[in-house]
Amino acid sequence: MMTQRVRDERSLIDRRRFLALAATGTVAALVGCDSFGSRRLEPALAAAERGNEKVERLLFRHRSEDRIPGGARLSGNAFPQYYVSDTVPMWDEATSGVWRLEVSGAVRQPLSLGLEDLVKMPRVAQSVDHFCVEGWTARAQWIGVRVSDLARAAGITDDAQYVDFQSFDSDYHESWDMASAMHPQTLVAYAMDGRYLGAGHGAPARVHSPVKLGYKNTKYLTKVVFMPRRNGGYWTDRGYEWYAGT
Amino acid sequence: MTNLTKRTHWVVRITHWINVIALPLMVASGLRIFNAYPGFARKGESFCCYPFEGKPIPAALTFGGWLAGARHWHFAVMWVLVVNALVYLGFLYLHGEWRELAPRRGDVRRAWQMIEFYGFAIKEHPHQGKHNALQKAAYFAMPIVAAIIVLSGIAIWKPVQLHWLTMIFGGYVWARYVHFMAMILLVLLVLGHVFMVFAVDPYAMRSMITGWYDEDLAPEARNARPFYHLLPRRRSPGDRSPPAVTGNG
Repeated sequence: MMTQRVRDERSLIDRRRFLALAATGTVAALVGCDSFGSRRLEPALAAAERGNEKVERLLFRHRSEDRIPGGARLSGNAFPQYYVSDTVPMWDEATSGVWRLEVSGAVRQPLSLGLEDLVKMPRVAQSVDHFCVEGWTARAQWIGVRVSDLARAAGITDDAQYVDFQSFDSDYHESWDMASAMHPQTLVAYAMDGRYLGAGHGAPARVHSPVKLGYKNTKYLTKVVFMPRRNGGYWTDRGYEWYAGT
Repeated sequence: MTNLTKRTHWVVRITHWINVIALPLMVASGLRIFNAYPGFARKGESFCCYPFEGKPIPAALTFGGWLAGARHWHFAVMWVLVVNALVYLGFLYLHGEWRELAPRRGDVRRAWQMIEFYGFAIKEHPHQGKHNALQKAAYFAMPIVAAIIVLSGIAIWKPVQLHWLTMIFGGYVWARYVHFMAMILLVLLVLGHVFMVFAVDPYAMRSMITGWYDEDLAPEARNARPFYHLLPRRRSPGDRSPPAVTGNG
């Protein structure tokens, strides 16, 4: 009688433990294992991204600037060089003529600026962080023109709610919200660490700002187009979040 | 022969099981994000305090499939966990149950006694309330570690807009390190918790599901150490303790 009861209890415990272990194992199998997660939950993830963008826009202040300690070491040659084309994009004057930056769209006075025109404009030099979506950061000193100064020079209209930064690195471009583009640390940069941009860093000019993740900072810049609507971007269209503010 | 008490409030049970689902999702998607740059050093610098710099986490432990997918999951599930934690902590506060977890004078001594008991240096299970002192310490530490994870997470999400917060952690690189190491600590606490449930008090599973707990099966009643006395204590004819009171009187 006694042994029978004990065996029953043991089997009860075993069953209970088995169920618990099975539940744990199921959770472990659903999670992890390199899974992409359920496709059915993608609308929920998209809704979360829209909610997060609202929070990010609410937090955004022009007064909040990236500051690195005085005398901090810059990344120098360790600053990663990247592009989406198969080879380093280089502006070919023989086929494309002299490089010029076009500022257009919702503006009263479209601009076409050569590199020397940019250099003559009010100049900003700033040593800031570069926040890559991958998780690394690098530091460099950038010299360039504030996008807000370009906007003022071109006379943006009320339709200018977004800006698209386009490039000659294949079809690379990224569009920004106006507030981030008008941040005082958002530059069209033509020099890095005291020298004109190298081919690996987006020559002859690129967007650089610490207020957005690296992929929003279009290199090999050709056009700054003010627009009433956003038009995605290279990595945005491939599934990365559009806002990507820091 | 049972001595059932209502032990676990439904708010605690629901928030607990939401954590069971959401926390592994958060950890695994975080590890997939980490794998995009599995190190801490700023470019052009070295990092003192991580011995596995550059070595990715095994893909089987990750979730989200790729960097962008994992980020979408991470930035969605974070709200589930934060809201869940606020509900749980709000309940603890309003319902007074924080008293069962808050540290008290003598807890260090009692925790040491538990360690001695588990190490067979003491014969009888130290007297305890709802939780033993080691449990209390673990359950008290978990929300604190979680808060550090949330704050360091916000610090690396908004290193420019919330620059002051990032600076509290010593800058972006250190905030990212704190975020990672605090996650490791929370995972260790959770693994210890899950191990002890199975090894010492599997009967607690019932109370975390239904709320009901059989006090006669409590670890103290069984004098249970990990994998010792998992079964209820049998009363032999020579047992001198008074017979259990049945409910028929």
